[in-house]
Amino acid sequence: MARPIWSGTISFGLVSIPVKLYNAVARKSVSFNQLDARTGARIRMKKTSAADGSDVPEDQIVKGYEISKDRYVVVEPEELDALDPAATRTIDLEDFVDLAEIDPIYYDSPYYLAPDKGAAKPYALLTRAMEESGKVGIARFVMRTKQYLAAIRVADGHLVLSTMVYADEVVDPASIEGLQAAEEVELSERELTMARQLIESLTAPFEPERYHDEYRERVLDLIERKAAGEEIAAPAPEPAAARVVDLMAALEASVRDAKAARGRHPSAAAEAAADGAVDEAADTGEGEPGDDKAADRDGARGGTRRRSKAGASAGAAKAAPARKRKSA
Amino acid sequence: MAASKAVEVEVTGRRLRLSNLDKVLYPEAGFTKAEVLDYYARIAPVMVPHLAGRALTFKRYPDGVDGPSFFEKRCPGHRPDWVPTAIGPSSGKPGGGTKGDTVPYCVIEETAALVWAANLAALELHAPMACASDLETPRAVVFDLDPGPPAALRECAVVGLAIRDVLAELGLEVLAKASGSKGLQLYVPLNTPATHEEASQFALAIGQLLERAHPDLVLTAMKRELRPGKIFVDWSQNSRHKTTIAPYSLRARPRPTVSTPVSWDEVAEAAEGGRELRFEAPDVVARVEEVGDLFAPLLTLRQVLPEAVAG
Repeated sequence: MARPIWSGTISFGLVSIPVKLYNAVARKSVSFNQLDARTGARIRMKKTSAADGSDVPEDQIVKGYEISKDRYVVVEPEELDALDPAATRTIDLEDFVDLAEIDPIYYDSPYYLAPDKGAAKPYALLTRAMEESGKVGIARFVMRTKQYLAAIRVADGHLVLSTMVYADEVVDPASIEGLQAAEEVELSERELTMARQLIESLTAPFEPERYHDEYRERVLDLIERKAAGEEIAAPAPEPAAARVVDLMAALEASVRDAKAARGRHPSAAAEAAADGAVDEAADTGEGEPGDDKAADRDGARGGTRRRSKAGASAGAAKAAPARKRKSA
Repeated sequence: MAASKAVEVEVTGRRLRLSNLDKVLYPEAGFTKAEVLDYYARIAPVMVPHLAGRALTFKRYPDGVDGPSFFEKRCPGHRPDWVPTAIGPSSGKPGGGTKGDTVPYCVIEETAALVWAANLAALELHAPMACASDLETPRAVVFDLDPGPPAALRECAVVGLAIRDVLAELGLEVLAKASGSKGLQLYVPLNTPATHEEASQFALAIGQLLERAHPDLVLTAMKRELRPGKIFVDWSQNSRHKTTIAPYSLRARPRPTVSTPVSWDEVAEAAEGGRELRFEAPDVVARVEEVGDLFAPLLTLRQVLPEAVAG
């Protein structure tokens, strides 16, 4: 059973609703420990002085803030404690806004809000009212000495709280090289039409179940096999090519194919790419159960029309190139 | 996940694994990665001498010219051990980070290394004016002529000829190359002691001279806004930390155009509207077979900047 990471009350006008906060996401990246290859013992980090390499006892470590190169201001724990926001244990709903108004860049971590004992009714009331108004609540609350901004919205009849970054934490896009250049570009109607068509042809329902962290799956598989005692030679990153050939000989066929593709007709290359995509989607064997589930869920939400299986699979095939392009 | 096709090849005794040869990197032209590699392998004999000894910045387009791209200064850790690195001119933005000037850049000294870079989809190679062995000494002065629409390459050619004439007065020879994008770049070979500051000031002075003579056409002030109808003489490319697209580098344009050295006769034709100075990879290979490396003097011609420039 999931355990709450925080409990308090949602404060909404004169109404208080006792709630508990649960992580909505369990990260699954694989983490490793460092070991001594000779003995298998865990590696312990020692805190040493950068000045002379001597060990520094825990009670002699203080916090310093670097104000300029090699110049630090030391801040005492008591000084920081005095600044801690009061742990009020309330989630203060301050404003209600439209979901579309919030740029997704502001969302940080998602949590489920569940009613605490005896609070099911006011919780359901708030949920229903928010659902009907279609609004998202903007709230502030304190968790572990940090004050958070949060968005509370309704999803499938329950409340989801997403912590948000503060506006001044969002990096100014003007500081990113290249973004400026993109704004100055002139586009022809023809280019735009082509781009729109491409987007249209790749448009598919978003079915998160279809995407997997393949690297993690391979790592876990490797670990399981090793733990089971299987001897595993480090595999080549990609299936090894059969033989070493001369560069020009290797390129010849590919260059010839590309020229031939252009020779047939202008869009030949694009079609060839699409053919490849269909093959790949078939190879992955990502089956229909996922598609079914997604369609059912949509149906339950009542919003979207139900798609046929065939439509969804065609979408999967078309979407494949977008994922495939990740590898150079 | 379907395995991507990889092929192991030998290039002048070096082993390389090439991947995704059939991937289209220039969708509008249907130009594939194999063709990019083929171009770089064929152009290497004239291109590598212009890259050798320099801390190169790669501009990589893993998903082709329509996809996202990134500048790569730090040479990838997974490079073959025969690709050397050198400390380059830049560490990043001024005031940002404390790491200092210690970024190891890739150095391309042979055909195999150029093919390796191309296999990383480093379509564009950008080089500083100085060699890594002496970062303080630019080997040439560069004028980057950048047209503000509706001005185009033709107007760049007009300004380029004017700059050539001024430099001729000073007894300096200058070489021209189509940037492969929209503009024209002029290189004054030095190969003698000079500083980046001198090179910048010289280029600015020449630019201002032209600006005074052709105020309707030439601009030297650096502005972010568009400069409609004018040619911006970008003299700041001579800064220590700036790079310019390398001779014979592909450009990430809709079609596989190349930053191509051109003759002054060709520039004159372009100024009259009789020529486009637009070369795609296959043309460039054929052209170099015919005319050789028009930029060869860049590496050998020794010229000294005048002490002071009029203006």
